[in-house]
Amino acid sequence: MTRMDRTLQGRNLRLIAAAIVVLNGFFPAVWILLTSLKTETELVSKPITYWPHNPTLQNYVQAFTDQPLLRYLGNSLAVAVMATVLSLLVAALAAYAIARLNLKRRQLILTCIVASSMFPLVTLLVPIFETMRAFGLLNTYTALVLPYVVLNLPVCTLVLVSFFQSIPKDLENAAMIDGCTRLGALWRVVVPLAAPGVFTAGILAFVNAWDEFLLALSLNSSASMRTLPVGITLYQGEFTFPWPIISAALIVAIVPIAVLIAVFQERVVGGLTQGGLKG
Amino acid sequence: MAAPTALDRLRDPSEKTLGVMLLAPAFLLLLLIVVYPIGKLIWNSFFDLRLSGGSGVKFAGFENYALVLKDPDFWNATKNTVLITLITVPGALVVGLGLATLANLPFRRKWPVRLALLLPWALPLAFAGLIFAWFFHTEYGVVNDVMRRLGAAEPTMWLLRPGWAFTAICMTIIWKTSSFMALILLAGLQMIPRSLYEAAEVDGANKWQQFWQITIPMLMPSIIVALIFRSITALQTFDIPYTMTKGGPGNSTETLAMLIHKTTIDYLDVGYGSTLAVCMFLLSLVVTGFYINRIGRNA
Repeated sequence: MTRMDRTLQGRNLRLIAAAIVVLNGFFPAVWILLTSLKTETELVSKPITYWPHNPTLQNYVQAFTDQPLLRYLGNSLAVAVMATVLSLLVAALAAYAIARLNLKRRQLILTCIVASSMFPLVTLLVPIFETMRAFGLLNTYTALVLPYVVLNLPVCTLVLVSFFQSIPKDLENAAMIDGCTRLGALWRVVVPLAAPGVFTAGILAFVNAWDEFLLALSLNSSASMRTLPVGITLYQGEFTFPWPIISAALIVAIVPIAVLIAVFQERVVGGLTQGGLKG
Repeated sequence: MAAPTALDRLRDPSEKTLGVMLLAPAFLLLLLIVVYPIGKLIWNSFFDLRLSGGSGVKFAGFENYALVLKDPDFWNATKNTVLITLITVPGALVVGLGLATLANLPFRRKWPVRLALLLPWALPLAFAGLIFAWFFHTEYGVVNDVMRRLGAAEPTMWLLRPGWAFTAICMTIIWKTSSFMALILLAGLQMIPRSLYEAAEVDGANKWQQFWQITIPMLMPSIIVALIFRSITALQTFDIPYTMTKGGPGNSTETLAMLIHKTTIDYLDVGYGSTLAVCMFLLSLVVTGFYINRIGRNA
């Protein structure tokens, strides 16, 4: 075999490997996109079609009119943004203490925070439901934001601890010698340098909050407070499944998160492999 | 200023005070959302507590626990949950290892492969359930269409028969979770020094031997991390069966999480639901303990 042959073969092998991985990752989204462009009549004709014969955008219009999809989108966005900001704030404070301060039991503190992710969320569901009910917080953003912050705390803390540890301590000391207070040094030196880590942790927190289903279904069941995953499962009637409309709604819901991870994929992968704990 | 000394201390606190200040929000939240609920859960499990009727709260002792042990729904849900864990965790590991091996080839452009691994991870579980329910639709689903093209005479009643519904749910979970496995394993693969393979090549080891003698042992730490977190989430399986079958047909695909959700949120039977949750909590402790024990022995 000549050298040329071998590189050619290696290249084909790589193309096949890439095709398998890409197909595996994208086929559900592509199939839903194709379904969303089909008419109801085309959908129930047999044998089924793969490529839509008369592509239509009617399903997207109906996705917004049959259910308050825009409202769901807004709820998801509000809950995810609030949960992300609060998660980052709480996790950053804790992570700085663990990474930087001369605390005796720092490993134990970190373990406590990470171990909280070992508790099955569904076992906490009942008392959380009761508590939120007692405080009249069912069907509010708060009911979801607070548990989501706790859900995000382990990942965010792990990612941020390793980022804080990578910042040389001398920089902080130098700032303090120059007359900064400890908190001043934290704000002027550490925070800007940790920005990439904060950003990575933020994306992970956002995706976690955007995807959560069980709590959103149980705590915020009223139509005006539903998040996207809950709202979209409710397009189905008792006996009917308007698949083209569900598909259109799914595409609307997938696009924001797909764009987010496409733009920041390297950071997401880095964050996931550093402290990613999501299934 | 009224209290300059206190303000000064706030501006430049001692190490310990600062530590307490910084850790307080995290631990307050953990107390509110994790510690208190667990205590409340165990407390509730000893009461007859229904939010629906006006029957009030009655101390029930271990009555709820006795009922759980005799409840066929509980054992059915436990069996389904354990089976889903035993099938989908190794399944996702094998598929994930395959994907990671393919994704580890030296591509010129890395982003299509990386995005293809990230997309299933970022997709909400509930959406994966909806999408695959459509794939497995008996009449108009693409799975049955492909099977027909391959020569299947009769369409398979995927979500309408207990065994097939269970199979479809497991396949969906494996698809959804294997790419996260692949990402973790890919990071592990990239840390294995090339020189190990070169040395093995010199010694005459073939690719298969290299895989079992170098790749798998070097990957073990990543595999264990991925397995722990996947098992913990597998025990909590809710979204995918809920959106694909709602636990049906009958209750053949109902998991523990679904049973707890139904008992407490739909029927508002908090006492009994809490007892179920305590039992599920014990089950997850067994799994976590098993892994921690294994890691301890490995280390």
